[in-house]
Amino acid sequence: MKRLRVPLRHALLSLGLIGLCATTAAQTPPPGRLLASNCFQCHGTNGKGPGFDKIAGESPDEIYKKLREFQSGKEGNGIMARHAMGYSDSQMRALSAWLSTQR
Amino acid sequence: MKRRDFLQRSNALLLATSPLLALADDDRSERRRRRRTETTPQPVPQPIPPGAARHRVIVVGGGMAGATVAKYLRLWGDTVEVFLIEPAASYTSNIMSSLVLTGQRSMSSLSFSYENLFNAYGVQVLTDTVTAIDPITCTVRLASGEQLSGDRIVLAPGIDFDPVPGLGNSDRMPHAWKAGPQTALLAQQLAAMPDNGVAVLTIPRTPYRCPPGPYERACLLADWMKKRKPRAKLVVLDANMDIVTEKDNFTKAFLGLHGNVIEYHNNAEVLSVDPATMSLTSRAGTIRNADVVNLIPRQRAGALVALSGLANATEGRFAAVDNLSYASTVAPLVHVIGDASATNQPKAGHIANQEAKVCADAIIRAFAGLAPDPAPVTNSACYSTITMREASWLTAVFQYDAVTRSMVPATASSAASSGWNGDNFEQMGTWFKALMGDSFS
Repeated sequence: MKRLRVPLRHALLSLGLIGLCATTAAQTPPPGRLLASNCFQCHGTNGKGPGFDKIAGESPDEIYKKLREFQSGKEGNGIMARHAMGYSDSQMRALSAWLSTQR
Repeated sequence: MKRRDFLQRSNALLLATSPLLALADDDRSERRRRRRTETTPQPVPQPIPPGAARHRVIVVGGGMAGATVAKYLRLWGDTVEVFLIEPAASYTSNIMSSLVLTGQRSMSSLSFSYENLFNAYGVQVLTDTVTAIDPITCTVRLASGEQLSGDRIVLAPGIDFDPVPGLGNSDRMPHAWKAGPQTALLAQQLAAMPDNGVAVLTIPRTPYRCPPGPYERACLLADWMKKRKPRAKLVVLDANMDIVTEKDNFTKAFLGLHGNVIEYHNNAEVLSVDPATMSLTSRAGTIRNADVVNLIPRQRAGALVALSGLANATEGRFAAVDNLSYASTVAPLVHVIGDASATNQPKAGHIANQEAKVCADAIIRAFAGLAPDPAPVTNSACYSTITMREASWLTAVFQYDAVTRSMVPATASSAASSGWNGDNFEQMGTWFKALMGDSFS
């Protein structure tokens, strides 16, 4: 029985969140989230680090503008520039919009 | 199955098998406190409250793909209960493991715990081995004797090696291509090599895990030999007709920078070996009395894939999957991700992480009665050590092509660095930390 303590405690601690979970349990993934998750390997889960620059929570226009700069070669010919060249304009818009919701 | 039975059964399983729960409470809370101050992403979903689970996914294998899919199923799916079944108590990273051979990294720096997947995301981690799956009823049988059923199974068993004629059970020619005891063993053998010794590194036929990996290891070892084994030679026997990736950089490094150490042979597949005399017979000839042999054999999906009848691609080596969801083309409730699946994408940890996210998203959509995202994108990025202090980089973005129903590299994004430098070597450390964080915490 001793081993049950940890999961039970976890379960009890999270009881207060049940209501929250139930209301946010929208199982339709938000637009842009899966696309934006391509950023997480280098910029951290939800763009919040650890890793290279944190990219969460800026305005959609700021993130998009930055991506465009990389894509156009203005930021040089580094790994992020070449990476940005792999996305369409609408994909960059969609992932920027989702990243801006992460604060 | 009634909900109550379902929960009772999972509790029984946890009691029987989960090592994570066996830690002393004090130890756990101390570790948790420490971790909270160290890692950035805040735990988002809590362990699933009793009665809230509407679906269950069983993930088999806790490598880059398996850990990531387990985490993201919980992060993105509030009502999805996730079991991760993995025989090892912690994960040992293949990425960066060649640096153990040169003494630049410790084995412990490559070790990643599953604790955070449990603590922060509520993934139920079972240290056990799956001996069989039933792809129709979504049931897995465990070595401990338990059975576990779910709504979906995700297989992420990584790779297995082909037997090499003559090798038997000898440990004199380690692959060190699954990081672990073999990595430490190869490091010892290299350290014990005479100053004028001959080391051999063999590269298997594609597809194999981490396309640039053997070439970067060759470069790294060549640089290490110049410093530590000044008259030693490294013979590279490549089963392929040419360098398979990042050709400009590796050609320059092999012929130029490391030209006095590396002797490269293409079309040199190993046919047989004799560990007693440290000999190899390849298509390019025979080598006798080598001092060290790093023998990387040809690869196939982890055995469970073939055992389950899902190895239906690449001459029966890997699993064909729907590239929108990673569902097996012969068993729609079983998904195969990472190195075990057959796609146009490289077999490597960074892209396995992204395949896992596409798979998690598709499973969550399926539970809501929705079709997968019709246009998934994945990406690959990595750094290759060209010397002990300098690296190059390689990247590609893959877009889904609806006509061929496959992932296709976007031409403009498929690129490597022009040469190598110390900044890239530093960035490699940042990349590794970020990637492991996104996969394991």
